[in-house]
Amino acid sequence: MRTKLEKIYMGIIFVFMYAPILTLIILSFNSSKSRARWGGFTLQWYINLINDNSVLNAMANTLIIALVSTVFATVIGTLTCVGLMGLKRRSRTVIMGITNIPMINADIVTGISLMLLFKVLHFETGFITVLLAHITFNIPYVMLSVMPRMKTINPNIYEAALDLGAEPFYAFRKSVLPDLMPSVIAGALMAFTMSIDDFIITYFTKGSGFDTISTKIYNEVKRGIQPEIYALSSIIFVIVLILLFASSRLRQRQAVLKKDAALYKVEKKMSRGKLVLISAASMGIILLAMYFGGVFTRKSNQLFVYNAGEYIDPEVIEMFEAETGIEVVYDEFETPEIMYAKMVQNDGAYDVICPSDYMIEKMLDAGMLQELDPDAIPNRKYIGEQYLKAADSFDPGNRYSVPYCWGTVGILYNTNMVDDPVTSWDILWDEKYSGQILMQDSIRDAFTVALKRNGYSLNSTDPAELEKAAEDMIAQRPLVQAYVVDQARDKMIGGEAALAVIYSGEVLYTQRENPDLEYSVPDEGTNVWIDAWVVTKKARNPEAAMKWIDFLCRPEIALMNFDFITYSTPNEAAREMIEDEDIRNSEAIFPDESILKKCETMSYLGEEGDALYNEMWKKVKSGN
Amino acid sequence: MKKELIRLENVSKSYDGELILDDLSLTIHENEFVTLLGPSGCGKTTTLRIIGGFETPDKGRVIFDGEDITSLAPNKRQLNTVFQKYALFTHMDVAENIAFGLKIKNKPQDYIEDRINYALKLVNLSGYEHRMPGSLSGGQQQRVAIARAIVNEPKVLLLDEPLGALDLKLRQDMQYELIRLKEELGITFIYVTHDQEEALTMSDHIVVMNQGYIQQEGSPEDIYNEPENAFVADFIGDSNIIKATMVRDELVNILDTDFICVDKGFGENTPVDVVIRPEDVELVERGEGTLPGRVSHVIFKGVHYEMEVQAGGYAWLVHSTRLYETGKEVDIKVDPFNIQVMNKPESEDEEVLSVDD
Repeated sequence: MRTKLEKIYMGIIFVFMYAPILTLIILSFNSSKSRARWGGFTLQWYINLINDNSVLNAMANTLIIALVSTVFATVIGTLTCVGLMGLKRRSRTVIMGITNIPMINADIVTGISLMLLFKVLHFETGFITVLLAHITFNIPYVMLSVMPRMKTINPNIYEAALDLGAEPFYAFRKSVLPDLMPSVIAGALMAFTMSIDDFIITYFTKGSGFDTISTKIYNEVKRGIQPEIYALSSIIFVIVLILLFASSRLRQRQAVLKKDAALYKVEKKMSRGKLVLISAASMGIILLAMYFGGVFTRKSNQLFVYNAGEYIDPEVIEMFEAETGIEVVYDEFETPEIMYAKMVQNDGAYDVICPSDYMIEKMLDAGMLQELDPDAIPNRKYIGEQYLKAADSFDPGNRYSVPYCWGTVGILYNTNMVDDPVTSWDILWDEKYSGQILMQDSIRDAFTVALKRNGYSLNSTDPAELEKAAEDMIAQRPLVQAYVVDQARDKMIGGEAALAVIYSGEVLYTQRENPDLEYSVPDEGTNVWIDAWVVTKKARNPEAAMKWIDFLCRPEIALMNFDFITYSTPNEAAREMIEDEDIRNSEAIFPDESILKKCETMSYLGEEGDALYNEMWKKVKSGN
Repeated sequence: MKKELIRLENVSKSYDGELILDDLSLTIHENEFVTLLGPSGCGKTTTLRIIGGFETPDKGRVIFDGEDITSLAPNKRQLNTVFQKYALFTHMDVAENIAFGLKIKNKPQDYIEDRINYALKLVNLSGYEHRMPGSLSGGQQQRVAIARAIVNEPKVLLLDEPLGALDLKLRQDMQYELIRLKEELGITFIYVTHDQEEALTMSDHIVVMNQGYIQQEGSPEDIYNEPENAFVADFIGDSNIIKATMVRDELVNILDTDFICVDKGFGENTPVDVVIRPEDVELVERGEGTLPGRVSHVIFKGVHYEMEVQAGGYAWLVHSTRLYETGKEVDIKVDPFNIQVMNKPESEDEEVLSVDD
């Protein structure tokens, strides 16, 4: 009876520990994108992963960083232990304590400290800084593994080797090191795992255009989790699992060794330790080959592009690279605000950016942009006159930007869940839909809803109007399921919510995945937005940036992007090339004049206006 | 006179402000079995490590075969060490352990094999070539360590309490083996131990040390029979060490009783210590001896009886093959040759060691 209970208890513990991972692994084979539906077994996500260069790159980065930092940390950590043995016990304890601090220290503190140090020393953040950071935090793990073993080693062994005529290094290598090896390998495996695992420190010490798996996943997750990420996480889980098994087997074998020295002799010729080393080394060589193979085919000509998530057909980037020989370093931002913060931090980080209308105005105001060269962008002629005119409101004379996508903000709703007509923003305040409403987690978009509902301008800076809007949103909070950005789309597809504030560009894609979804622009009016490409003032490669913009204005390229992004394109030639008549004439994607008349573009509100919005937004988010 | 091989000149060494060796000078000759004997912390191991090159003296010089080797690295010295805890390379088999030094010297393979066979035969371990150290007993491991050292044909073999970790029977066997080895090899052994019996059994020359000073050196017989001070007398075997007064030459007053002795030159009525070995104390019937007493304790030791006799206010330790039962009234008698008169200790290090090591 008792043992049965014990077994059940163990079972429960295992379920708690492994059910989440199991779920993840199962979902990685689910052919449906929805978490809620099993669409059959597929390896598609793994295949996509292998075909995704950016993921492969991040994977290579992760493993190279892990391998190289492990090697350095292992050598440094082991040598430190050797050195510590020469000290008196008390100073040794003190130094061990000090070296353990980075391990106990919160990662975020370590990460920020390292970032600051690199800044002060004028290191350019990237591969090297991440590597240095990983070496730094890995050393204590190696020491933690090696030191206890070191203490048990008879120091006479080393002296005996010297005594027999060995030079100091040879003596160490032949006498102490073999005894130390199991703990060195265990330490190295630990360091390797820690390095692969690390996110926070990497995040703070990496620069633009450099990603490891963990930061890559983080970027992806911000934009709504794709099944490829399940596949990737499953792979990482399996790798870490194998490493853990290897290291514990190693320790077990060591324990057996002490009891049975004869066994040691048998296994000596091909010890598992060596096998692990050999396989790790060969893996490293393959990766290095992969990495350097990539490096050598690259041109020195680089273009740093900063764009919103999933806002380009990846094939377009490849085509651009193939045609121009320019290497594109492509980073994605979550919200325009994050992009702006990054630009303030380092205004030379990117050459070409795709911000929204009001943000362009703000960047112009801050002097961050440079004037475009019209002769370098002949394909701008395909952009519709009405869009250029609309863009005039934030970029007078269209001297700094070229429109890329445009659309409206409206309500996406599930016709199975909503039976009222969706014609007003008021429906988002209807208690009937409590817990089924998704709001945008972006200041201006959220305020657009509340301001327009009250008949105010979405560019209002009247404190009384903003106060009213904020109050409305606080009142609405209990009804809201979540404030989200890109996840709104996936949640609506999965039927997890009934109503969502969404960009019109999402409509085509979501309807394709879930035919029950409809889109409506409320009668009170809304925001018509334009995202446009701009070139930064401190761009290191402005010529390439102009070429990039011109390339994107080609009708066939704009069409590819339209097919991929499904946001309305301002490229008239591209629109004419859309084969599907329903789409070409879709009101959601290309709304007619009557709807557009009710809409405003966003404009930059100035520092004071921004501050006011921020303050109000804080109130809304904190609920008082 | 034998040829001088190693000379320590005024060597001093201290750790963390604590003086371990104080102005120590010592000469070691060729083909000698020298034992550094003393309680732990007396500086004997430090002396050995200075000779081996693992420590550098703060002051003084080390002369080897006429050359100053004070700061020569251990791997450049023509001597080899056998460590207390064997210090075998656990990941190498016996043969690889023994070949270690020879491989460094790039000796040819067949020569190395010859030497391994020779050395294993010498230490009675033929056939153990491919055993791992972990599978050997302590005595076998120590013999491998010795074999590993001697294949390099050192001029001197340093042994740091090599038998310390072995049990009694094994230790005694190994003592004879070491004597045999030394004779076969014809090289100098410098042996460190705190075991006086070991020292007396094996050595040609014993150096008794305490608190960084040499207390006495000489042959085992000299050290045993004529200890120069209370420390040496006490450390080398059980002894009766008694406060006494030298009345005049050849007459000493012990516990208010005059004894005839053979020592001279201490002056008249000088306070001294006398050492009388337990086997030198004769017990005779009452009225036949010098000092009356009573047997208070008897232990049978196999070869002899160990008895405690209360006489003149002192508990005498007596070894005799003849039994006197507890409570028996006896007289004590000592042959004049067996009374060893010593000067009173002049410093702490010459005093009797209160705690046996």
